[in-house]
Amino acid sequence: MKGFSNRWKDFPDYILGITHEIWEERQLRTLDHYYAENIPMRFPSGLAQGNAGVIDGTMATLAEFPDRQLKGEDVIWSGDEEVGYLSSHRILTTGTHLGNGAFGEATGQKFIIRAIADCAAKEDTIYDEWLIRDVAGLAEQLGWDPQEYAAEMIRREGGPENCVRPFTPDQDVDGGYHGRGNDNIWGERYAGILTDIMDKRMETIRTRYDRACSLGYPRVMFDHGWDAAELFWLGLRSSFPTAKFEIHHQIGREDPMMPPRSAIRWSLTGTHSGFGTFGTPTGADVHIMGMSHAEFGPFGHPDGTIRREFALIDEVAVWKQILMHTGDI
Amino acid sequence: MKGFDERWKDFPDYILGVTKEIWEDRNIAALKQYYADGIYVRSPASFVKGNRDVIGATMATLNEFPDRRLLGEDVIWCGTPETGMLSSHRLLSTATHLGEGVYGEATGKQVRYRILADCHAINNQINDEWLVRDQGAIVRQMGWDAKQYAVDLIEREGGPEACVQPFHPDLDEQGPYRGRGNDSVWGNAFAHILSEIMDANLAIIPQHYDRAVTGYFPGGQELSSTDGVDSFWMGLRAAFPSATFQIEHLMGREDPLMPARAALRWSLTGKHDGSGVQRVQRCTSWGFHTRSSALGGCVASTRFLMKQRSGSRLL
Repeated sequence: MKGFSNRWKDFPDYILGITHEIWEERQLRTLDHYYAENIPMRFPSGLAQGNAGVIDGTMATLAEFPDRQLKGEDVIWSGDEEVGYLSSHRILTTGTHLGNGAFGEATGQKFIIRAIADCAAKEDTIYDEWLIRDVAGLAEQLGWDPQEYAAEMIRREGGPENCVRPFTPDQDVDGGYHGRGNDNIWGERYAGILTDIMDKRMETIRTRYDRACSLGYPRVMFDHGWDAAELFWLGLRSSFPTAKFEIHHQIGREDPMMPPRSAIRWSLTGTHSGFGTFGTPTGADVHIMGMSHAEFGPFGHPDGTIRREFALIDEVAVWKQILMHTGDI
Repeated sequence: MKGFDERWKDFPDYILGVTKEIWEDRNIAALKQYYADGIYVRSPASFVKGNRDVIGATMATLNEFPDRRLLGEDVIWCGTPETGMLSSHRLLSTATHLGEGVYGEATGKQVRYRILADCHAINNQINDEWLVRDQGAIVRQMGWDAKQYAVDLIEREGGPEACVQPFHPDLDEQGPYRGRGNDSVWGNAFAHILSEIMDANLAIIPQHYDRAVTGYFPGGQELSSTDGVDSFWMGLRAAFPSATFQIEHLMGREDPLMPARAALRWSLTGKHDGSGVQRVQRCTSWGFHTRSSALGGCVASTRFLMKQRSGSRLL
């Protein structure tokens, strides 16, 4: 890999390797090298910029969860030296709530959640990033109701007017990565499936998901089958039936020893106008950042069916936008 | 496929199709056609010969769980239509306990559990079978303690002497299938890993399992990472440290659209002489496994270990 240290054998090795070095070996100052000085990091909870903030944020997280581990489940990537590499890195995050912090006083509770990080890298440095953590899953495992945790964040940050604004497209800045992924067939197929679902063609789940599929969603580490897929996608779409669905980045890959798979970054932007996962409609304007990974297999459809899917949104950031609108905190 | 009905496009299609036709589409009578008269069925619970009672037992189960679904997660197989084929079929079953039956009065509880079924088929018919159902998951989801359920089962069946004897090699009979699998590199790799673990080399787990592995273990446990894998195997081996570990059947496959994978059938036979107070004269458990680079799966029955353990205590 041109421009990268020769200790990395390929791009996934680089992503897994630096993640381990920075967060598990506690070498926070390597961020000075691995993260660009002005890197924009888009979290559903807000936009952050610059590697200094990343170092402080990492320290706060480690103070709260000192045994935190980040296990890479997959790295689905695209690009080259010219346009830059983009990796969609799915991570299993585990730890114990041993210190005081954002989730209140230490509870001693163990947690396990997933996160997906889309990172653009060039010349050994990450310069553009999108990151979704299952904050609702984490909150729930530490004893919070996700909606109540969102309300608590608003109160703590000074109320609906003053609190940190969750990420919306108008806040976005150009970090330098302009790729849209690749044109592999599996990315196209997954994009087609998600577009059909968002177009309210709900039979898509029964035709294009393996009936014994394994699933991971916000607050749900392991679930199975069509009903669980419907519960997530239908429940989400139903809360925002008129919102605009957009695909921002689409990767498909076939690698040795792996099933064909895809990583897609998408968003829903619009009004909270229907009954669904987010309860009674409030008319709040929301922007939802979504990322999902799918693995395909041969059973049930000539174009293959989804055998495993992991989709993430930050439900707490969605609740926060709803509560900022209603003021019901 | 020679000897098979031409509506099946391949062996996995036959296994998935027959399962759905019988259980979900309710053509239970088709069992007479798909199961050989003299079929040998071994489960950890018992050894049964012949298909006579299968239809009655299937109806009893469907009466107790009318909405039962059997979702085929994978079919790992070997052999040829001419010489016979062996499929290791991993299923996820979901059901609601809506009728009275072997699990007592209807509880309305929803259950979800895995099954691994090794079936030998030739001439459109299954004639030799090994089946492990995650009974531990079923009874726990119904609110039982697994051990207490085994105690209760022994009592209902007339006590330790009279109750149905769990499977043991002494009860086994040679059926039509004499194969040992195939010689895929993945089957051999998985066999090597498990043999090392059973030989107390648990250090092999972090070396040969992905550190973000998902493991599906008895009792419906879904455990992440190598710690989870370690806790299952360590717990099992520690309870039976001197038992003999044997690999009975071994397969591996590389198929389009699928990761490399393997299926093993194995047994542990010996005394319950570790980290427990009870002693057992003999004990066998089975498990079947599949594993890929990023996904692990395994089911072994806990309930029948419990039955033997409690049984000996009652003796």
